[in-house]
Amino acid sequence: MSTAVTSEPVLTAQHLSLAFGGLKAVADFSLTLRAGALAGLIGPNGAGKTTIFNLLTGVYQPDQGEIFLGKQRLNGLKPSARAKAGMARTFQNIRLFGELSVLDNVRTACGVRAKSGLVGALLRTPGWRAEERAITERSMDLLQTLGIAGRAHEQAKSLPYGDQRRLEIARALATEPKVLLLDEPVAGMNTQEKHAMRSMIQQIRVDFEVAVLLIEHDMGLVMEICDHITVLDHGTTIAAGVAADIQNDPAVIEAYLGAPDDAASEGADGVA
Amino acid sequence: MTIFLQTFVNALALGSLYGLIALGYTLVYGVLRFINFAHSDIFMIGAWISFTFTGWLGWSTGAPAYALPVILVLAMGFCALLAVAIEQIAYKPLRKAPRLNVLITAIGVSLFLQNTGVLKQVFGTQPQRMPSLVNDHVMFTLAGVGVQFVDVLVVLLAGALMLLLQWMVFRTRLGRAMRAVSFDERTASLMGINVNQVISITFGIGSALAAAAGLLYALKYGSLKQSADATWVLLGLKAFVAAVIGGIGNVRGAVAGGVLIGFLEMYGAAYLSPHLKDVYVFVVLIGVLLVKPSGLFGKAVVEKV
Repeated sequence: MSTAVTSEPVLTAQHLSLAFGGLKAVADFSLTLRAGALAGLIGPNGAGKTTIFNLLTGVYQPDQGEIFLGKQRLNGLKPSARAKAGMARTFQNIRLFGELSVLDNVRTACGVRAKSGLVGALLRTPGWRAEERAITERSMDLLQTLGIAGRAHEQAKSLPYGDQRRLEIARALATEPKVLLLDEPVAGMNTQEKHAMRSMIQQIRVDFEVAVLLIEHDMGLVMEICDHITVLDHGTTIAAGVAADIQNDPAVIEAYLGAPDDAASEGADGVA
Repeated sequence: MTIFLQTFVNALALGSLYGLIALGYTLVYGVLRFINFAHSDIFMIGAWISFTFTGWLGWSTGAPAYALPVILVLAMGFCALLAVAIEQIAYKPLRKAPRLNVLITAIGVSLFLQNTGVLKQVFGTQPQRMPSLVNDHVMFTLAGVGVQFVDVLVVLLAGALMLLLQWMVFRTRLGRAMRAVSFDERTASLMGINVNQVISITFGIGSALAAAAGLLYALKYGSLKQSADATWVLLGLKAFVAAVIGGIGNVRGAVAGGVLIGFLEMYGAAYLSPHLKDVYVFVVLIGVLLVKPSGLFGKAVVEKV
């Protein structure tokens, strides 16, 4: 378990709270991610994990609390501005631009960093052409990294499920993020695909120098690769720490993992 | 045969105009899922502002060769800016409101534009004749039918603008952003696309095309009825029908729908009855909606449950 992340925090969430009407979706959530960190967010269904992603990316604004990316305060910023600042995500229920080609899905996200605008496009200036070419090359590289370059010109919605998940990650990386939020990256994958995805996530974290925060129900995966784990239940953080501490935390066992035997078997399943 | 060919030329010219206007409906529908009923008024303003600029520049009697491109750019620019302003003032505050509210607002905007237009400080109530910016003459004769320069101009210019739009939508970054917003606005936003900016630009582009259609209409038909006249609304409505028949939200479909409507109207008028020329279009609309409600080129949307 690597704990050698001592650099400046890239993502700081402080005391985030959000209520939908009378329902406290998230209460007093705090988290710090340092560069190169790989952290996990776990909890039973409806615990508020995806809501936290929505708060971090600006889909929701928190009732209370603050979010910083590096030194930049993100509160009040729109999702697109946060993407520009360096926040990228994937979705639990895949949300690709299904009608666009695989390559165009990635190129669209590359637009975040593009300089030349409409005038350049209309006049087809050399600068614009060069930039378009660079975007296409970078997008192909990303598809290569994720192992789906061979399908670049297919419609995104025609990809098999596992490849769609990979494409979502490629698209998120195209925005050149500092923080990558992965919402259930191995959901619905078979053991072999899970293995591949696990090494891919670890690879991405190193190659792209991003801090990764992942939501995952696969305990084996989370326990194995995450440096730090936060456990949520009913919007409240009930435990936070390294895998070993979480596994032995009585509150977690009671609220989430159920009886200790179940925990052991679930862990074993995931690793297998 | 002469009638057939003459009608063909007229139908192609009129169809190109419908296609240009239809693109504006379809583009805005694509990103906002809303029918901009004020679009026909942008077309009307495009025609009138072309007339006004021509007067200001002193080209009412005799225009230089560069008059057409100058007026075209001015009219397109003016209508683009006007549409962006309308979008910011009238539609943007309603971004999260139910669709019906926006639709009713669009009708309000439409009435506002029509009735502002008839003010004597604006365009006035007098119908006007558009000065000929180009030297109109019979370009060539085909099987006894003289093809006017202005018809060729309308078809070529409209065709060029449609191709430019095609290229923009399917080959440029802006087009990718537009398609991404159209497909899933929230995800597009999370991928760093400034959705509001894309929406504004889309309004601007659609309205610039309507302005071009307005100028071409004025050049081809010459007479400009006052801004609140029903002719404008009817033309806009038929262009809207073209967009629906082609499959609303579909760029290529809008062009095809426009040409189809043009042919239907002209051939119906020539061979059946000219009095019913507005009827054919709507009869076919009803037919298409009954048989293939998503339009000839549209894809059926599966309702998620």
